[in-house]
This record gives sequence, structure tokens and C-alpha cells, in this order.
Amino acid sequence: MRDMMGIVMSDNNEIRLNELTQMRSISALPFGGRYRLIDFILSNMVNSGIINVGVATHINYSSLMDHIGSGAPWDLNRKIYGLFMLPPYVRGGGAISAGNIDQLYGILTFLRRSRQQYVLLASGKIVCNMTFDDALMAHIEKDADITVIYYDKKKKDEQLSRSTVYEVNSDGRITGIENEPHFPKTTLEGMDMYIVERMKLIELIEEAYARGSHDFIRDILLTKLSSAKIYGYEYKGFVGKVDSIRSYYENSMKMLDIDVRKEIFGAKNRIYTKVKDQVPTQYGAEATVSDSLVADGCVIEGRVENSIISRGVHIGKGAVIKNSIVMQNSVIEENCDIENVIIDKECTLRASKRLVGQPNYPVILPKRTLL
Amino acid sequence: MKSAECLAMILAGGQGSRLGVLTKTVAKPAVPFGGKYRIIDFTLSNCIHSGIYTVGVLTQYQPLELNTYIGSGGPWDLNRNSGGVYVLPPYQSAEKGEWYKGTANAIYQNIDFVDKFNPKYVVILSGDHIYKMDYSKMVKYHKEKGADATIAVIEVPWEEASRFGIMTADNDGKIVEFAEKPKEPKSNLASMGVYVFTWEVLKKYLTSDENDPESSNDFGKNIIPTMLGNGENMCAYPFDGYWKDVGTVQSLWEANMDILAEPPAFDLRDNSWKIYSRNPVKPPHYIAGSASVKNCCVTEGCNVYGSISHSILFEGVTVEKGAVVEDSIVFPGAVIKENAVVKKAVIGEEAIIGKNCVIGDENTLSGMYESQYCTGGISLIGGAVELCDNVKIGVNSMVTESVKSKGGK
Repeated sequence: MRDMMGIVMSDNNEIRLNELTQMRSISALPFGGRYRLIDFILSNMVNSGIINVGVATHINYSSLMDHIGSGAPWDLNRKIYGLFMLPPYVRGGGAISAGNIDQLYGILTFLRRSRQQYVLLASGKIVCNMTFDDALMAHIEKDADITVIYYDKKKKDEQLSRSTVYEVNSDGRITGIENEPHFPKTTLEGMDMYIVERMKLIELIEEAYARGSHDFIRDILLTKLSSAKIYGYEYKGFVGKVDSIRSYYENSMKMLDIDVRKEIFGAKNRIYTKVKDQVPTQYGAEATVSDSLVADGCVIEGRVENSIISRGVHIGKGAVIKNSIVMQNSVIEENCDIENVIIDKECTLRASKRLVGQPNYPVILPKRTLL
Repeated sequence: MKSAECLAMILAGGQGSRLGVLTKTVAKPAVPFGGKYRIIDFTLSNCIHSGIYTVGVLTQYQPLELNTYIGSGGPWDLNRNSGGVYVLPPYQSAEKGEWYKGTANAIYQNIDFVDKFNPKYVVILSGDHIYKMDYSKMVKYHKEKGADATIAVIEVPWEEASRFGIMTADNDGKIVEFAEKPKEPKSNLASMGVYVFTWEVLKKYLTSDENDPESSNDFGKNIIPTMLGNGENMCAYPFDGYWKDVGTVQSLWEANMDILAEPPAFDLRDNSWKIYSRNPVKPPHYIAGSASVKNCCVTEGCNVYGSISHSILFEGVTVEKGAVVEDSIVFPGAVIKENAVVKKAVIGEEAIIGKNCVIGDENTLSGMYESQYCTGGISLIGGAVELCDNVKIGVNSMVTESVKSKGGK
């Protein structure tokens, strides 16, 4: 798919992830023990044959840059195209872009300089393993102006009310768009992925920017709903959309399901990430582990149940970790008792600490907490 | 140490025939080790940590996998504009073309390669030892002593000394005698196969050795004794860390088990001296509710539903429900099916152990599978070997081909 380029909008000013995104953009959020959210869209793009990828950043993007580096883990360290970090473009010391249209306006030069006919515009917060060949084919067949990629959530929940929900007719054309609806009409949730012709996208951005608009969905999709040919493409695989603590926690825990894990990580197309050269994980003589994912470089001497343990974590003797997510390099000393907790990177829990959250409301321990 | 000053040549062409079926299709340096490494990772990582950025890897036996593995050298930070890693197979030239006849001949055939970098010193290494060593300290020692050759030595137990090349050194560290596998050793300082040579001197000896038709073109047998006989300044550099030649199935198994000891006899978790390897693209490993994992090393992509203890699982290994793995090392991608029992074994890459199989069964005679390569009660199942259900394999056995039906081939 050399005729499509990719733009990852790495930040959506997400506030529902509280402490987890205070220090990092949402796409740099650790996921599944050894990944960051952006790994999924980057790998999906690369697995689709896209070789020109721009990552538009917004704020606090240093951990994202550190993670992506030259793009080598995704084979995007190239002479011809490759990976481009696109930091925010600030004019005359003014405020950082107010919305994603401003953000896109800031990267027009990159869009103009690229040569691919189509653009895949996507956010960096969706966990899935897909390629975009079929979606592009549908876009071309329908002669669409914009193709919106969505999936059927199949149930109406609070997440839909924070999201964009579509109505689609039998021909696949989008007939209704609801942005953050209180009572959503359908369960077809947008995956924040759009296919647009590159020249068309430039035109849309320039036009919207000139009107002083800020939001791609509100000011382009909704405004153009009747005048432009906006089609939908339904993706049928597993989709994990991370936009709140709850959805982060739930989607993380879904990785413990063998079928989901096989689809996401066991498929022909791999999910790539930055390599840390950690040693294999070592289990002590008293370790008890069940139903958990454990990344490399850990030392496990205690009890771990139904949890996700990231790279380089140490769990001391007699410690019990249940239904929790422990991020990279955190240390949980002897006899701690942890349940329903999300422990961010490099935290230290001294011996015999007890921390219990609710299943639908996990406690969050921010990065580098010492307890 | 600048790259122009010092260059490393790694001898990686040996078959390692005592590893039996493990080196049927790969050279010994490419044999898996320690959960996610290959044996050559240790030498390559030592090079980069020692500031040696120009490395030649001499390959000959079954080089395909090793060449692919090393690739452009990226995992070891050896993909460089100046220097980096070079894979050096034997080649044909206008006059003649021949295989590497011996370790010294392998370097001799690559004199032009070394000369291109114009180094003052050359470090000769072998790609089949497990150890962590700072070669820059040894080169510094070599310079301080004004030596022509410096040989790293390690103390070995006296009773094992006759298996090694043994050095006798005076109080100043100067080597006065060298004996290859002596019956009655005069010292217990064994050569580690790590040499620093002043390149100009070595070049001279390589050339004269090549012109000697009687020579077997080997460092230990020819170059070192000749240099010593000619009175060159040769020093012994004492090393007291962990060092293991994993030349046999038993020593390979033992060295792996050293990682599991408490505290580990060989520590891989030293962040200041990381061992680099080509990492698999696999998710974290999964330990199921039905599993039990005690005193093990497990790496990415594994799925464990059975009981494993005192074992090492490499990437992508599956241990099904009810299966038991004890005191074993299981190479990448192998599958241990339901209720199979694996005891004190080495399971090759992508091997499949059928349901209810027993590997390392004390009550089964090894029979046709008995092998000179398997000692110390260890059983070895070759790579890609598939055992059908209910097969029992005795101790000290080596299985090189798939077993399609119970009790026969």
C-alpha cells in the first residue's frame, strides 16, 4: 500500500485518564506489559505497507519521542520516507493549537511534501491488529470523500456517551453523526480512523482553519455530512479503545483472554515495540502465579493473580498482587497486599503496604510514587 | 580504546560436534542459551561494553542461521558507519580458495581485512564461551607489560586441568611454559581462548605458520608454542569471573542451571553489563490459573498451563495443562503437550513432545537413543523433532528424528 501515508494524531487532550496521562501523551501510555498504545497503530500502518508515517504530537511528548526514536522497531528508519515526528507548530509565541484542526494545519507542509494519494488519519489510542487494505479498497469503490472506520460496540455504555457514534445506511453511507451523545442512537462507535485523499484533506483543513474551526469531527464531519460523500467502513475484529481509566483497565485485562491475545499478538502481523534487552523473568521458589501476563526482566517471588506485570518489575516474597496492572520497573516489597490497583512506572511500595481499589474503580499510583 | 587502535576477531566457525543434534543445522555460537540469548551474544556484548566497535566474525560451519542472526549488528549497537560487525566466511581469490584450515589460518586468510583498519592490537576471541569480561582492561594490561601476546587465564580445579591448555607463569605474569592438554599439569591456569596480540607481531607469525606445511594452523597448537619458543614477550592475564566452555550437552545444561542458582552463579541481571540479543517480537508470557512456576526463567511469548520447576523456557514455548517440566531447558517454540513429563532434558527448537510422553524416564532403557553426547543423566530432543503421544525416552538419550508411532519410528 505504497499509495497511502499515515498520520498519527498522538494526543487528544485526554483528561479522563487523570494521573496516567499527566506526564505523557495518551499514545505513550504503557499497555499489555511491554507495549505503549501507539505501537498498535504504528504496527498496523507498517503491516499494511505504509512507509510514510507522521506522528503529530501535542503536549508532553518527550516520553513518546523517547519511545519512538528513529522508528527502527517498526522498520521506519528509512531513507525514502519513514517516520516523521511532527511537534506542534506555534505561531509567534501564541498558544499551542486549540484542537486537531489547528494541529493538522501545523503539519500541512508535511502533507504537501508527501506524494501518496491517500492519507490514513488515526489516533494513537486504539488497541487492535488490523490492516487497511480493505478499508482503502472500500473508499476507492465508493468514491468517497472521507471514509470513517468504525466498529460495532454492541452495547450502549458510558463509553459511547464520550465518543462519536455513527448512523450508517445499507450502502455504507454515514447518515448521522452524534458527538458525545447522552442517549446514543446506535452502537457504531468511531475508531478515530479516517481515510481521505491527501489533496482533499489539505483542502478541508485549509477551509476549516480559515473559518476558525478547531475540531475535525464537529467542524468537518458534521458540517459536511450532507454535502460530502462520507462513508463508513466497519472493522469486525477486536477493538480496545482507551479513553478513560476504566476502559484502560478493562482493555488491559482483556489481554489475559487467550483468544484476544492470539488475535492481537499471535497473528501473522506482529505488534512491534521498542526493545529493552531485558533478561528473562525469574521466578523464585515460593512464587505463585496464576492467570497473569508477565513481561521480561521481572523477579517474581510472591503471589500474582489475574494481573499484568510489565518489564523489570520486582515482586517480593509474601506479596500478593491481584487484579492489578504494574508498570515498568516498579518494586513491590515483601508482604504487600495489592488489589485492583494500577501502579505506574518506577513506583516503590515498601514492605507490608496494603492498597485495595474497587473492581470498577481501580486505585492509581502515579509514576515514581514511594509508599 | 579507539576503534582504530583495537579490533576483535571472533572465531565462530566451529561445529561444536559434542553438542550432538543441537548443532546439526547451526554452528555452536548460534545455539540458544539462558532463556533468550545465543552463545555468541556474550562475546559480542563483551566487545561493545569494552569499547571495541570493529568486530570480524569468522564463520564456516552451517553459517546461515548465524549470519542471519548477526545481520547488520543492530542489536549489539554494531551497525556503524565506521567499523561495526563483519561476517567473514572463507572465500575464493584469484590464486586459490580454501576452507579455514584452523583457527590461525582463519585469521591468516583475513589479514587484508584487519589491515584495512590498521589496528595496533587484535583481540582474538572464540564465539562459544559464556562469560562477561572487559577486554579493554586486558588490552591495557598488554600495553603496560609491553607484551607481544597476552593470554587470558583462569584457575581451574587441578583434576580438570588436563582438559585445557595450561600456562605456567612467573611471578611477573610472564608465561614460561605452555602445554596443550597436559597429562601431568604443572599449573592450574587454563587458557580461556582470549588473546590480545600486537598485530604486527601476530601477522609475522601467521605468515610463517602458513608457510609451514607441517603446521595444523592452530593458535593453541602452533602459534602460541612457536612464539614462546622464539622468546617473545608473552603474558598471562588472570581472570577470576564466571567462565564456561559450553562444549558438551552436559556443560550447556549446567551453565544454564547456573543462572537459576540462588544467588545465581552467573548473573544476567547486571544492568551495567547487559547481554544484548536479537529480541523476539512476542507479547509477555502468560501463566495460567492451572500452572505452577517455581524457580524458573521464562521469557516472552510463552504460555504455561502446566507445572514447571527449576527450568528455563525460551521464547514462545507452550507447556500444556498437566504437563510437568523439571530441571530442563526448553528451546524457542517447543511445545510440551498435555500430561507429558520432561525431566532433566534439553528440548530443541520447535520440538513437539506429545501427550503423556515421558522424557528422561529412569525406568526406560535408552536403547537405540543412547548417545555418547548425552551424559550426566541428561536427555536431548533435537530441533523440530516431533514425538507422538505416549512415547517414553530414557536418560542419557538423544532423539534426532521424529517418532511417528509408539515404540518405533
